[in-house]
Amino acid sequence: MSDISGGRDEAFRALYAAHFDAVLGFALRRVDRPEDAADVASDTFLVAWRRLAHVPDGDETRPWLYGVARRVLANHRRGEGRRHALGSRLRRELAVAVPDASGEVVQRADVTAAMRRLSARDQEVLELHLWEGLEPREIADVIGATTVVVRPRLSRARARLRDLLGEDPEPPRNDPGRTGHLPSDHPELTRKER
Amino acid sequence: MTSSHEQPEQPERLKLSDRAVASLPLSSGRAELLEEIMSTPVLDHRDPTPAPSARPRAQRWLVPAAAAAVVVGLVGVPVWLATDDPSREGAGDAGRPSGVAGDPSSGPEQVSGYRAVLDAPGWTVTYVQEEPPYGGEMSYSNGEQSLDIHWRPGKTYDTYVEDRSDNGPGEEIEVLGKPGMVWAYSANDHTMIREPDLGHLLEVRGSGMDRAAYLDLLGQLRLVDDAGFQAALPEEFVTDAERGAEIQAILDGIAETTYPLFPPGADTVVTSSEPDRYHLGADVSGAVACAWLAEFTAAHAAGNERRMDNASDALIPSREWPILLEMDEQGDWSEVIWEYADEVAAGRVPEGFESGLGCRS
Repeated sequence: MSDISGGRDEAFRALYAAHFDAVLGFALRRVDRPEDAADVASDTFLVAWRRLAHVPDGDETRPWLYGVARRVLANHRRGEGRRHALGSRLRRELAVAVPDASGEVVQRADVTAAMRRLSARDQEVLELHLWEGLEPREIADVIGATTVVVRPRLSRARARLRDLLGEDPEPPRNDPGRTGHLPSDHPELTRKER
Repeated sequence: MTSSHEQPEQPERLKLSDRAVASLPLSSGRAELLEEIMSTPVLDHRDPTPAPSARPRAQRWLVPAAAAAVVVGLVGVPVWLATDDPSREGAGDAGRPSGVAGDPSSGPEQVSGYRAVLDAPGWTVTYVQEEPPYGGEMSYSNGEQSLDIHWRPGKTYDTYVEDRSDNGPGEEIEVLGKPGMVWAYSANDHTMIREPDLGHLLEVRGSGMDRAAYLDLLGQLRLVDDAGFQAALPEEFVTDAERGAEIQAILDGIAETTYPLFPPGADTVVTSSEPDRYHLGADVSGAVACAWLAEFTAAHAAGNERRMDNASDALIPSREWPILLEMDEQGDWSEVIWEYADEVAAGRVPEGFESGLGCRS
């Protein structure tokens, strides 16, 4: 990641400020207990802090962070996360604030319920598309696949969801100014899925 | 923590938008976490410098070597010729020979031996990936043992050395004629970073073997240029020199049931630099399918039933395209084309096919 204002600390503060809500939102939308999202956000930004030189710049930053958060989330689900005590205040605040929240949501409950009837891999690409507003190329970056894998998977998942709902949910305008899509000439990893 | 997927009986949480998250009263926890994180030790103390994306490790392989575009000219008369594809990042980079599909003699081969390969009995390639200008990786295995060879831009050398020094001071050795440092993650897991040469560092990690065996393998590495690298690829990869013929063969297979290959007036350019046959197949079959789907869409909008029928006749046989039958075992690509063909056969324009196949607009 480029040096934003002359120092490592400043660069990380800028990264944190720009992406905290998105990373926490990513986690909150995927955990059962809101306080667990604090652990995911904490571990994700801890990785970014320790590996700041490896965080890509610009529009690639957000998908990179989502990719880290995705792996952190998987570790937590396997009971392998949380080996430190960071973010305890955030945990407490989330436990209180989220149940009382009545803010804007990224999708209706019936859409979420319908998505649960799909396979886990269909759900994942749909969630990244419908909840985070990512395009196939960005989803490919997050899940470590290629657009050749992601495009048809997303297309089929959307068709299945459409069949269940009788409509085609559109991704939200979730933080449109900062989500940022990857440049079209971004080099692709090309990889089969199995 | 548990997964919502694992416990569907849990009450559904609101899927708050990022904007709603931003408005939650979390300012103290948010600020405290920032300071907590920044008080932890870091592994790369230097000011941030541009570095390669830390991408998730791939499960399979790829080697986008030199870029190439294959142009299929004249409707139904597939003829290909090669040209550089400027849309591919890294195409024609200095130090990276831009070999051209089907015409390996198009320019002098520049020797740029910054990649290394392993010539050792019992070791086989399990994974290859290269993503100019970020570097690449080639993995080998031998039973429970593995050896991963990375090549990365030389400017990232300091960052990687500092990162690996978290395991303690490295031990100086010489590898392939250049100084390097070795670190031990454990008694059976070591890594070595070689000083940059020809603009690239080499890192080699050996797992499942003791130090002596690891050092012995380092001694069996061989530097290769682009041609040597391609020659070291396993048989299942499509090299630059083979790609044109492979594309031609795929098109010939499609043309057995779909002829002409492209609708009148369509863009008949097929672009691919893929060495992996699945991805090459996606590029080629996608170009044909996209062209006919676009033709059907236009005909549908114009109410031209004859053109709609032609497009439908071209797409319905996709279930017999040999490349799609071959790819069907490996991913969703074929199924999606077939579902689109079914839609077309029913007289409907498939929703979102451009995104589903990545059709050029």
